[in-house]
Amino acid sequence: MSVRTASLAGAAALVLGAAACSSSGSSSNNTSASSSPSIGAISAAPVKSGGSITVLEGKGFSGDWPFGLDPATNTDGSADQDYMTAVFGQLFELGGSGQIQPDLATSYAFSNGAKTITINLRQGVKFSDGTPFNAAAVVWNWERDFGPLAVKAGIAPEWVIARSNPKNPNSAPAASAIKATGPYTVQVNLLAPDGGFINQLFDTIPMWIASPTAVQKEGETKFAQYPVGAGPFTVVSDSYSDQIVVKKNPLYWQPGRPYLQSITFKSVSGDEAAYEAMLAGQGQVYEDMSTTQLLDEAAKQPSIQELNELGTSPYDLQLNTAVAPFNNPKAREAIYAATNFTPILQHIFGNRYPVTESFTGPGGICYEPTVPGYQGYNPTLAKQLIASTGLDKVTFQLGTINSSPVAIDTTEALRTEWEALGMKVTIASWNLTELIAAFEANHGKSWQSMIQTAGAFDPSSGVGVGFRFDSLSPFSGVHDPKLDTLLNEAEAPTNLAARCSYYNQAAEYIAKNYYGPFYFTFSPANLSVKGIGGPGLTAALPAVAVAPTIPWEDVYYNPSS
Amino acid sequence: MALVQQVQLQSAPGAGNRARRAAGSPALRLVGRRLLAAIPVLWGVTFLTYVVMSALPNDTAQAALGLKATPAQVAALNHALGLDQPFWVRYWRWLVQVLHGNLGTSITGQSVNSELAQHLPTTLILLAYALVVSLLLAIIVAVLAARRPNGIADRISLAISMLGLSIAPYVLAFILIIVFAVKLGWFPVVSGSLGNTPLSYFKALTLPAASIGFPLFAVYTRLLRADLVEQMQREDYITTAKAKGVSPWRVLIKHALRNSMFTLITVVGLNLGTLVGAAAIIETLFSVPGIGYFLLNSISNHDVPTIEGIVLVFALITVLGNLLADLAYAVLDPRIRYGSTTS
Repeated sequence: MSVRTASLAGAAALVLGAAACSSSGSSSNNTSASSSPSIGAISAAPVKSGGSITVLEGKGFSGDWPFGLDPATNTDGSADQDYMTAVFGQLFELGGSGQIQPDLATSYAFSNGAKTITINLRQGVKFSDGTPFNAAAVVWNWERDFGPLAVKAGIAPEWVIARSNPKNPNSAPAASAIKATGPYTVQVNLLAPDGGFINQLFDTIPMWIASPTAVQKEGETKFAQYPVGAGPFTVVSDSYSDQIVVKKNPLYWQPGRPYLQSITFKSVSGDEAAYEAMLAGQGQVYEDMSTTQLLDEAAKQPSIQELNELGTSPYDLQLNTAVAPFNNPKAREAIYAATNFTPILQHIFGNRYPVTESFTGPGGICYEPTVPGYQGYNPTLAKQLIASTGLDKVTFQLGTINSSPVAIDTTEALRTEWEALGMKVTIASWNLTELIAAFEANHGKSWQSMIQTAGAFDPSSGVGVGFRFDSLSPFSGVHDPKLDTLLNEAEAPTNLAARCSYYNQAAEYIAKNYYGPFYFTFSPANLSVKGIGGPGLTAALPAVAVAPTIPWEDVYYNPSS
Repeated sequence: MALVQQVQLQSAPGAGNRARRAAGSPALRLVGRRLLAAIPVLWGVTFLTYVVMSALPNDTAQAALGLKATPAQVAALNHALGLDQPFWVRYWRWLVQVLHGNLGTSITGQSVNSELAQHLPTTLILLAYALVVSLLLAIIVAVLAARRPNGIADRISLAISMLGLSIAPYVLAFILIIVFAVKLGWFPVVSGSLGNTPLSYFKALTLPAASIGFPLFAVYTRLLRADLVEQMQREDYITTAKAKGVSPWRVLIKHALRNSMFTLITVVGLNLGTLVGAAAIIETLFSVPGIGYFLLNSISNHDVPTIEGIVLVFALITVLGNLLADLAYAVLDPRIRYGSTTS
């Protein structure tokens, strides 16, 4: 090659290299956070009405809505909460300190030993089609939520209520179960006390009230694509799992809200694509970023603000007490003593997430990061127990879901730690269906250990503590009537202190019996460009399921700030 | 005598036309043969896909209903979707529907036909954009390179081609995003709804098309350049043309290039299958609402009717693409057009 040719080629390479490798573009393998994530609140721009934003949604979770947005048929309702709340609003909102705030409903009351819940609705509200939002509409929706569509979709609420056919648990609610006791008052009568009822509404289909007139007029197929609610926005266009455009609802009940004229929710392939799109100005918000390297990069960007939400679902190592080796409490204790989460948190996750010893997180109720009697890392004890229980002579399996990078990274790290102490571990990672099959195979006796999340904003709701530790749950490795009793008792009282007392006892009981060590409360971060303000974006909110529910009517964009 | 009469008949006006009509158009015969041959190919592809999807350890209803669905709910949805039927029953029902032009209903309740109608044009336009631009550029660069082997144009084209051959399309996609979308702001990162005007539409598709097209350009350039050099250096007709005083550019473009196109067309036809696969990945990266993006969604949802519909369409595209390649031979070589054997 001649000198002239080499010079030209080198110059071209330099240009491309300089452009590609500048600090604002690429993900690095930096394992240490260069700046701490903001938790709680970050300084927000002054409020400004008007304007439009694009919210990027990651595929595989919130970026998919293949079944549409009808509350009664959307099996991805929890993941699609952004669109659901934008269109339908919420009966209640969850505030930054976990307080329940009025929205389309103004208050609630428990009576009859927490078996009756009375909810008062806001008066004078209209759906975006002009029809009245009232108790009759709410009752119509809730009865529909127990109807054949929702039952078939597997999303009917889990309320313990009287049925029209007592022998059929999927039959319609009895007339006494859900009723309007006034034009703006709805009453639910349960068969068992449930002090967590209102908490359990968040991110579930009863929270989203559809216009009955619109459902009947449009038909279910069209309604799923162009839903009508009493929320701050109405749907302009909807291309499933691709893009939704919503515009301000002129009939929204709250004066001066929403601040934004329109929002485009756009599905993107993942964290990297979303980050690049934000740098290119194609998106102003991205929720649920979990890639540590990108979070570190974003923290260095002056144009991007990053907010870690308040986590509510700790990662837990489930140990199956029904089969060897973990039917032996000493073997389970060995795992507790052999597990050191400090280096995992430091080197893999950049110390972003708070450690916890129970199923509660800083964003949820009854948070207790430390549990009396919890066996922490003790390699000396671990080696003794491994030898005495024969854990060094068997190979056991550690499973997890393959869609969670956090779980996969943690699984690999744990195996490394345990093998250093003489244990032999194989790792299995599955998709959702395979994971469920792994739990259910052979009546729950085919799996040995699993890394999963356990806990929720309210441990009695969603994928809460019962989901992983209750005897009746197919996804539990524990079959202990005493723990079942504690968890049931924790659900009943309306007094928070009483509930927390039971949950604390449950956490101690789990620790005492070594049913499963907890790691840290993971919470994804929300990214937004400077100038964006609002709850969930500049002020942290508790995550109800995976991510917090952002009240889009309170979000604004002030690009000149 | 008979020979003279035969020659006289052949020389008579219209005799040749009548003979050709009697023989039938070779191109039409070719199309007919290929279309008939495509039927077992398409059937085989869909059957194999069905077998593989059925053998995979997955459950469509469970995937649709999620973690908290009860076994009864899963069974009910499986029944509603007909998924509790034996494999042969399900496949036969699907096949009968397809023969009536109905590709079935996805697990989301949408018609597969309408989903394809919505998403397929975007993918076809994207692939056509990538293919046409990469071919045009490859031809131009290969001709420039072959004009003076080992000259500067040849060396630069070699370097660029090596880059294209060694870089994975998804890596290239991110580099293009960083340079042309983030740093320069010339193109969007997320293609999304592609815009309302032709300009914004093609602007949104440019980076995805470049990600698909650049590796193709690299392959086509090297292949064509090598063939052109071979033609120019070894073929007698080239020597003849030069001896007759034809200019070097004219020899290269009008004579050598035409013969070299056969190899290029063959490779383009063979590449079509990989092209649609690359589209799936690139569409996902750029959020292009095409059929590839839709396919990956369907695979993760274990949406068998949709997967089968898309696979069938992809197979059809590949078959038709190869047919077009064969017809292109006939356009380039009149001997094929008139039924004689090719050299």
